[in-house]
Amino acid sequence: MNFVGLFQALDTSQSTNAKRDALMDFIRHADVLESAIAVEALTGRLEKKRLKPSLLKYTANQAFVETPWLFDECYATVGDLSETLAILFANPQAKPQTNDPILKQWVDRQTMLAGLKPEVLADALLAQLQEFSKDEAFLFLKLSSGGFRVGVSKGLVHEAIARAIDMDRAVIEERLMGPFVADRDWLQRLQEPVTQNEMDARPLPFLLANPITDEEITALKPQDTLIEYKWDGIRAQLIKTDQTIRLWSRGDQDITEQFPDIVDSAVTLPSPIILDGEILAGTPGQLQSFNQLQTRLNRKRITQTLLKTHPAFFKAYDLLRFQGADMRDQPLVARQAVLKTIAIQQSPVLAPERAEEIAAMREAARDIGAEGVMIKDRQSTYGSGRKAGYWWKWKLDPMTADCVLIYAQAGHGRRANLHSDYTLACWNDQDELVPVAKAYSGLTDVELKAMDQWIRKHTLQKFGPVRQVEPLQVFEIGFEGIATSTRHKSGIALRFPRILRWRQDVGPKDADGLTHFHALMTSNHAL
Amino acid sequence: MVSKKSRHRDPLVIRTPEGLYCPKAKAHIDPWRPVDCALITHAHADHARAGSKDYHCALGGEGLLKQRLGDQQITTHAYGESFIRGGVRISFHPAGHVLGSAQIRLDDGDSVWVITGDYKRDTDPTCQAFEPVTCDVLITEATFALPIYRWPSMDQTMDQLFAWWDHHVRHRRTPVLLCYSLGKAQRMMAEIQRRSDRSVKVHGAVATLNRVYEKQGINLCPWERTSETNKGISSDLVIAPPQVAGSSFLKRFQPTELAMASGWMQVRGVRRRASIHQGFVVSDHADWNGLIQTVQDSQATQVYATHGETRVLTRYLNEHLDIAADRLETAFGIEEGIDQ
Repeated sequence: MNFVGLFQALDTSQSTNAKRDALMDFIRHADVLESAIAVEALTGRLEKKRLKPSLLKYTANQAFVETPWLFDECYATVGDLSETLAILFANPQAKPQTNDPILKQWVDRQTMLAGLKPEVLADALLAQLQEFSKDEAFLFLKLSSGGFRVGVSKGLVHEAIARAIDMDRAVIEERLMGPFVADRDWLQRLQEPVTQNEMDARPLPFLLANPITDEEITALKPQDTLIEYKWDGIRAQLIKTDQTIRLWSRGDQDITEQFPDIVDSAVTLPSPIILDGEILAGTPGQLQSFNQLQTRLNRKRITQTLLKTHPAFFKAYDLLRFQGADMRDQPLVARQAVLKTIAIQQSPVLAPERAEEIAAMREAARDIGAEGVMIKDRQSTYGSGRKAGYWWKWKLDPMTADCVLIYAQAGHGRRANLHSDYTLACWNDQDELVPVAKAYSGLTDVELKAMDQWIRKHTLQKFGPVRQVEPLQVFEIGFEGIATSTRHKSGIALRFPRILRWRQDVGPKDADGLTHFHALMTSNHAL
Repeated sequence: MVSKKSRHRDPLVIRTPEGLYCPKAKAHIDPWRPVDCALITHAHADHARAGSKDYHCALGGEGLLKQRLGDQQITTHAYGESFIRGGVRISFHPAGHVLGSAQIRLDDGDSVWVITGDYKRDTDPTCQAFEPVTCDVLITEATFALPIYRWPSMDQTMDQLFAWWDHHVRHRRTPVLLCYSLGKAQRMMAEIQRRSDRSVKVHGAVATLNRVYEKQGINLCPWERTSETNKGISSDLVIAPPQVAGSSFLKRFQPTELAMASGWMQVRGVRRRASIHQGFVVSDHADWNGLIQTVQDSQATQVYATHGETRVLTRYLNEHLDIAADRLETAFGIEEGIDQ
């Protein structure tokens, strides 16, 4: 079986188990280089965007040079650029080749194509697509343009690998952390003993918190827990060996280069050490909003000026390895005791006696710029993944506002051709509706479908795939924070906006005004 | 261009609250409200509605129409044979959509209008192939008027279907194919019959229509109607209308594996939203090339698009092929939305 065969099996599988079995089968029997690149692709490690979406669009426009609008209509209906090109340009009569390995050849061809001038590339790519069946063309383009999702989680891939070579999943996950080399020895390497140095240098699987339920809050014994603020930053591990200092994000990215200031301040730390914590914007005395971190992540070069305008620091809250020893099997209290001896910015930890203390910390969170409280079992070891009964997060209630739907756009993937992406607006002081948020989810399938029908019937104007609709529908949105913004007409930017409910009970005149947001901004010390 | 004479006269067909109407012939075409005289293109529910006094349809369409509308006053006409009403020569021509489906040609001596109804250009063992009819004005459907809709060959699709069927039988799951009970189900069964000695189990809605097809000599694969007592995993393919997804009907065959045969399956997101694991791209409508080909074959100088991607088709004809085209709002296509 090759990657095309695997994709077909995954794409038509009913259950997670069937998907896992298909993956196992593939890892056991496929060419080992094919499986290496496949694992790279399925776990999001493949080099992104060898063929940028803009190049794919350019190619399509070359083919639709007289009717570019017709391509836009197709794209809006399909909801996925790679799939649109695959449907339009692959050979509908071709049969996909699902056995012999193809990925190495594909990756090489993509690299070759990426080196061409756009005009030449368009012709070469079109010729290439015409040799493919639809599935092959789709996968070829998906692999080359980054964003590759086939309903298979990273965890499932790890589990399938572990089962295929009969090893413990936790060990596999640990060994797959850090850079992945897709070569013929990848499976071999996973099964080799690991050296001490490797262990000190390799990022470890993160332990994740579960949202706490009302029942769990009531059942909780406060004396069994340690609590601390839940910070709104980038979860990361700070890994220092005798030679290097690295920052590794929860999204499995090496983000060291974006934060030279944190690396500088870590020079004085003892080594080897692996700390778990949060990268935060601002300084310990004065936190800044999460948006500031986004700027750091997005810049190619981190200049001195940027370091001054957008400072960042690392707040540690757990200790995973220290001086060659794995600390993860020790209970939280023991890890905390060692962590306290290390000179680094830390999250204050409280040992509550009563439930009120937990609630009080949560109440205080907004004032200090945190997003809630973390509750951790005192005796818990540091597991991997979203383990139940280890860590809980109890977030602040979101801020809310009632907004009017003004634009709608068809979604992607499962929501292709369904108008599910909303632009919502509130009133400014001239009684005009100004957009404040784009929100994608939060409605039930039934509501989405009903709204889709409504949107199609109440479209005032179409701008490509975007429909301007009659400003009649009101939605309550929730969000985690507000920041001032020069990029938005409204002058504000919301953090994590999502639709909480469809307010069919109120009309557009009842929607909130900008003043509501300004009031929230001052009263909540929102960052 | 003055030669487009039809555009300067009273139109032969207009839209009324009851549906498309030819005032001269005093006849409606696929009316959506009861009228005196209804010319019917085919028996799908959005084109054939009960309550009219007189029905006219193509010879092969009577059985299905009766099945759908009950006992009605129906006059049938052989393909290509015409009759005259109010000075208008009326004839039915093969549309290739389902058994007995027709395009309707209206000719008052000044101009010729053709209403296609639903149609496809691909071959289908259950009905007579589409025949191009030249005209001045063409009223066409536009269900799949986007270049993304290009139908693969039936050979390829049936290979896929058999491979999928066998795969799930091997893994002890009942393969279930969802498709329209009128037309698509019988087309799939006739294609199975042509290529294998496989047999199928069918939902009651499909069984009723199968009998009409077989009575008219259409060769379907061996089939049996499913029943309450007939429980357990089936190695025969189960054919049922899309409405059974999520209903108790499927429970008796558990575990099941759902596939759907429809033109909508061309788009992955649409298939996944319907929670369908396998889609087979088979449509009884014309694909993009089929629609354009039909417009060109007709040599019409004016085109109206009734349902589906009418905006796209009319814009393409106007701007790119220099054929005058407009949209005509109808109640057709309501039954054929994405959800089916």
